[in-house]
Amino acid sequence: MEPRATVLLFATARRATGAGELRWPVDAAGVPVRSLVESLGKRYPKLAPILPTCRFALNGRYVASRATRVRPGDEFAIHPPYGGG
Amino acid sequence: MTASVRLTRRRLSAAAAMRHLEGPGLGGLVLFAGRVRPDRTGNGRVRALDYEVHRAVALTALADLERTARRRFGAKRVVVWHRVGRVPVGEVSVLVGAATGHRAPAFAAARYLIERLKEEVPIWKAVPERPARRPRPRPPGSGGR
Repeated sequence: MEPRATVLLFATARRATGAGELRWPVDAAGVPVRSLVESLGKRYPKLAPILPTCRFALNGRYVASRATRVRPGDEFAIHPPYGGG
Repeated sequence: MTASVRLTRRRLSAAAAMRHLEGPGLGGLVLFAGRVRPDRTGNGRVRALDYEVHRAVALTALADLERTARRRFGAKRVVVWHRVGRVPVGEVSVLVGAATGHRAPAFAAARYLIERLKEEVPIWKAVPERPARRPRPRPPGSGGR
């Protein structure tokens, strides 16, 4: 079975893809956040213009560097700008 | 005892929040309530807002805000409560508050909490999409195919 990570999408990112959760193929060694985000933008053209405004979280913690690797089984979240209150 | 930090689908109670903020020697209690406004949009007037949250990350972020309010402003009691799901116009979507010995740090802490919540906590709001209106039936003999 192909190794995959879970991608969680919220708000405008969810509406741009039509899905709140994706099972995204990643190498067993992991893929840098930068590459994962690029490939998501290519796959979902409506998501691409939103991505530069987003924060990313990996397994519940904000990603400090786009070189961080997303590995099979990880949960990667895409957060458009917040709007609580 | 109620928690200082909450994400809930239930109505928020300002009275419950005030009780949470009470304590001996706490002379300054500030509570801010944010309510859903009946703004006009291109699709008519807003009747409700849908609040979406990334719960695991949001709870950590809210707990960080609480800790900072205690450390930076000396808040002895803190409330950071937010509704999730659908919230009708007029209902409270967020309550933040702080209790300190005197008023100035309580105001500062409450202001800090609401401003940082909007910037740093993964909560989003959206106007619910309305179902498409059914076309009116045409009266007989009004034309068309």
